[in-house]
Amino acid sequence: MTDIAAGVQRRESRIVRTLKGLALIRESVVGMIGLALVLFWVAMAAFANQIAPFPPNATLYPLAAPGEFVEGMGTFWLGTDHIGRDILSRIIHGSRQVLLYAPLATLCAYLVGIPMGLAAGYRRGATDGVLSFISNVILSFPVLVLYIIIIATIGASGANIVVAVTFASAPGIFRIVRGLVLDLRNREYVFAAETRGETPWRIMLVEILPNARGPLIVDACLRLGYVIITIGVLGFLGLGLPPPDPDWGGMINETRQMAMSFPHMTVFPGIAISSLVLGFNLLADGLREVSLRD
Amino acid sequence: MLIFMVRRFGTMVLTMVVVSLLLFLLLEINIGSVAIKVLGPYSSEEQRNIWLEANGYFEPFYIRYFSWLGNFITGDFGDSIRFKVPVGEILWPRLANTGILGLATMLVVIPLSLVLGVLAGMKEGSNLDRGISVGSIVTTSIPEFASAPLLSAIFVFYLDWLPGTSSMASGFSLVQLVLPAMVLVLYDFGYVTRMTRASMAEVMMTHYIRTAVLKGLPYKTVITRHALRNALIAPFTVIMLQINWLLSGVIVVEFFFAYKGFGALLLEASLTKDIFMIEACAMVAVFVAVATQTIADVGYTYLNPRIRFA
Amino acid sequence: MKKEIKDENGKRVHPYVPELCEQLRKGELDRREFLRTATLLGVSAGAAYGMAGKILGEPMVKEAAAAEDPKMGGTLRWGMQVQEMTDPAKFDWTEKSNVARHIVEYLCRTGSDNITRPYLAEGWEASDDLKTWTFKLRKGVKWSNGDDFNADDVVFNFTRWLDPKTGSSNIGLFASMVEEIDTGKKDDKGNAVMGKRMTAGAVEKIDSHTVRLNLNSAVLSMPENLYNYPTAIVHRRFEAEGGDLSKNPVGTGAYALAEHRVGDKAVLKRRDGYWGKKPFLDEIVYVDLGEDRAAWLAALASKQVDGIYQFDVNQLDMAERLPGVVVHTATTAQTAIARMQMDKAPFDDKRIRQAVQACMDHEKLLQLAYRGKGAPGEDHHVSPIHPEYAKLPVQKQDYAKAKKLLADAGHPNGIQITIDVGNTSGKWELDAMQAFREQCKPAGIDLVLNVMPSSQYWEVWDKTPFGFTSWTHRPLGVMVLNLGYRSGVPWNESHYNNPAFDKALDEASAILDVNERRKKMETVQSILQDDAVALQPLWRAVFTATSDKVKGYSTHPTFYHQFNEVWLA
Repeated sequence: MTDIAAGVQRRESRIVRTLKGLALIRESVVGMIGLALVLFWVAMAAFANQIAPFPPNATLYPLAAPGEFVEGMGTFWLGTDHIGRDILSRIIHGSRQVLLYAPLATLCAYLVGIPMGLAAGYRRGATDGVLSFISNVILSFPVLVLYIIIIATIGASGANIVVAVTFASAPGIFRIVRGLVLDLRNREYVFAAETRGETPWRIMLVEILPNARGPLIVDACLRLGYVIITIGVLGFLGLGLPPPDPDWGGMINETRQMAMSFPHMTVFPGIAISSLVLGFNLLADGLREVSLRD
Repeated sequence: MLIFMVRRFGTMVLTMVVVSLLLFLLLEINIGSVAIKVLGPYSSEEQRNIWLEANGYFEPFYIRYFSWLGNFITGDFGDSIRFKVPVGEILWPRLANTGILGLATMLVVIPLSLVLGVLAGMKEGSNLDRGISVGSIVTTSIPEFASAPLLSAIFVFYLDWLPGTSSMASGFSLVQLVLPAMVLVLYDFGYVTRMTRASMAEVMMTHYIRTAVLKGLPYKTVITRHALRNALIAPFTVIMLQINWLLSGVIVVEFFFAYKGFGALLLEASLTKDIFMIEACAMVAVFVAVATQTIADVGYTYLNPRIRFA
Repeated sequence: MKKEIKDENGKRVHPYVPELCEQLRKGELDRREFLRTATLLGVSAGAAYGMAGKILGEPMVKEAAAAEDPKMGGTLRWGMQVQEMTDPAKFDWTEKSNVARHIVEYLCRTGSDNITRPYLAEGWEASDDLKTWTFKLRKGVKWSNGDDFNADDVVFNFTRWLDPKTGSSNIGLFASMVEEIDTGKKDDKGNAVMGKRMTAGAVEKIDSHTVRLNLNSAVLSMPENLYNYPTAIVHRRFEAEGGDLSKNPVGTGAYALAEHRVGDKAVLKRRDGYWGKKPFLDEIVYVDLGEDRAAWLAALASKQVDGIYQFDVNQLDMAERLPGVVVHTATTAQTAIARMQMDKAPFDDKRIRQAVQACMDHEKLLQLAYRGKGAPGEDHHVSPIHPEYAKLPVQKQDYAKAKKLLADAGHPNGIQITIDVGNTSGKWELDAMQAFREQCKPAGIDLVLNVMPSSQYWEVWDKTPFGFTSWTHRPLGVMVLNLGYRSGVPWNESHYNNPAFDKALDEASAILDVNERRKKMETVQSILQDDAVALQPLWRAVFTATSDKVKGYSTHPTFYHQFNEVWLA
């Protein structure tokens, strides 16, 4: 009883410590800007229905310029696209797609990559050999091509994008986790746990993983940004989330023919995606900065 | 060293086999569509079956795979389904084009990011460092598909300085290279800059540099004689890995500017399921990945006398 | 006994020609339609222009009165996809035929003005019942390998087209020369498998330079059919010599293939010994600018090419602003149809098809997806610019009707249907379907869009239960209907099978008089519209652009290229 209680208490305090560590971000100006950008888009996604002035797919008034007021409809702050949909509303609703699929895909990649990395780093030997080889095979092939072949073969849908991202990102996560574990497995608390006779998976998950959280959190932020770009690229190549639900990469793809005559159609979604990626990158930078300060 | 190279070569061969097998399996899905590609959408079922039969598509999967493997080893990459000529005839010129684009990009990225990175890393936390660091994060956050339309709107249509496509239709043209390279540089230099900066900053913290500064050596001498050599080891590795990244990083750019390179070829081959073309492209990609990694490792050893291969 | 009418050269004139003249005089026929029909009946274009001039009291119009003197020489660079070019009879893309059209030629030629003139055929005569067509072939035409062009070449081509094994779409185009036969095989259910073959004696060699076509039913558009893009005349030993035009480019045309690299470029060089007028250009180079149309206009703007195959309606604003660039617009019968296969669930229920149809507001789709450039569609694939077009009552968007039909068909709570969209004729297809999706919502129809790359769409275009397929312009309405909606023809992608329609179409296809044919077309169009197998949002105008140096070019409604008259300033 006391043992478990102590364990729980220790884990709680670890969570608290992590949160306190994350809270240090407020000391980094860059990190705070990043956090603000990310939270801005999270708020947009959460309250899209309340914030967006129009339904995202409604064909209202084609080719309105940014800020144009149309009698009986209202003002199209960022203009409309060629079939009359309000760009502002589409960008706001599009944040939902991005903030749903990018974290989901990243999370899946971690759920696959972390156990593999833990096992390879802790067990070493044959386990490490096999897993490392698999990840090297996947990593030796251009990632974007891998996405394209997978999507072109199994078709484009939200779930398939998650599958493709998981498949292509997990090896990178595997490598990082493996490297961290190779370092951490020689620490005293691991030996202590081994002497206590704890099972290997318990040691990996309870003793080693939490101590690797710092670099992993930074990596997750960077990776989120990268996954957002990847989903955008797939949309841009016409392999992204199926229309008509707005997706930033797809919005650029649909209107890039008109980029020269009506720049607002491509520039605003481009700014949206860049700002969100920038948010995650700055956040990662800030986190790294404060973690180095410890 | 020899053992190291042999092991690397062995890994490469094994990787190639596994990748090619996986691709074959992946493309095995919906194999009948190949005949439609070749004979056109209006061909009859009968014609398609005859063609599939004649080209050995009714043979078991493993026989087809091994016959492809056998041909590949002897240098016969098979015929492209889309282009209807041997794969090599299309592949090598395309690869050379991407090489040119990659070279042009690297010629800008390497000096630019090394200089910026060293400048930023020399005095960590200075305003210059902050500016360069944030600037490189910002440019790295703008995806190529967002910057390409923007840059071409500016330089092609508003300013009319540059051509908007880079198909090199009437022979090689340097001006057509500018926009694609610009987009790639914009996206890529930030990463290398940051790596250089981190490496430089780390070196500046080491005892021997501090000692040199304390000894009263001119700052310039310390930087050029002592710091740079050690600071450039890490960026060297990063740059080698960038070459590998470029191979697929060029897809969006080549697609957007209609540049006839390896990335566009691979994209089209994937979309049309041009199996032998995909296989050949994949083998090239694996080769480049392993080769750059090996060069990075060997170069790292050469540059860093503290590491020796066992 | 009928009196033979002869023209000033003593040539027999089709007995219907005087009647045509009469109709033109009375104003029942416009000048354009008169010229078209008269030339179809074998009157030379010059003579037809002369007749029209006399009747209407206008001076005889000389075509394309050149303001400047054409210059010889130069290389024309044209941006267009360079595709494989194996077998002209199996061409499915106009782009393929555009390269080939400079190497191999056709019996007749339809100009940008929609008028068909003699080409490899020097002239033609039709019997009064329009079932026998005699083509006089031009003498002195030599193939690039030195052989004489003669009737054997034409007989070889027809025989080849009409053999189902060839897999040519021409078998549908020349349905009147084909008969249905029992192949002797049985399908799974024990029904006889029916096949097709050329009717015995359908092509007849009269002498070395005369060929007679004997049809089962009357066909008006024989000469026009013979300029349809898969009907290029190849050499009589085409199959024996490998059956690949790109590898063995033997032709009668003015240009020889110097280089052909799929996905890259095709180079045509003027050859000596061409039978016709010497063309102006030394060389024509087709440059493949990739699949991305946004890049094409940019290539023209930066003078990498002198002309581009086409550009999208969404680029119109930009194209018009480019200095040194001329925009060419053509009014056409190009379209795309959201067609449902009537033998696949849920589209086997006519009520479902009609419910989807009732949701469509054609005029609004034209405005949204095509900036209003074109005409609203009417779901029967006959265009207002087709001469035999019959005006039907305007269709109205009717949600009450749609809901009732859905409820009757057993879907009172709405239905979800998926359409494949391949954007094979541009992004406007996706735009139209996205806008249509919004129009379907109020009726409880959830239209899911399955977007795929165009190369993948062409893999499924005739298989998917519900797909949005682009169709090119054809000079006559009956031509499209014979090709795409007659039961059992290869391009019948909706699997449309309606004997009443086939019968009405047969009747309409046999009538020469446009006004009479129009009355029959009313039935044809109504049946097709009512069956709702092919929903058609709009007819679109098309746009190409050239540099202002390119002279003598006009956009063909189907983007057919033949640059013999084009020159560079």
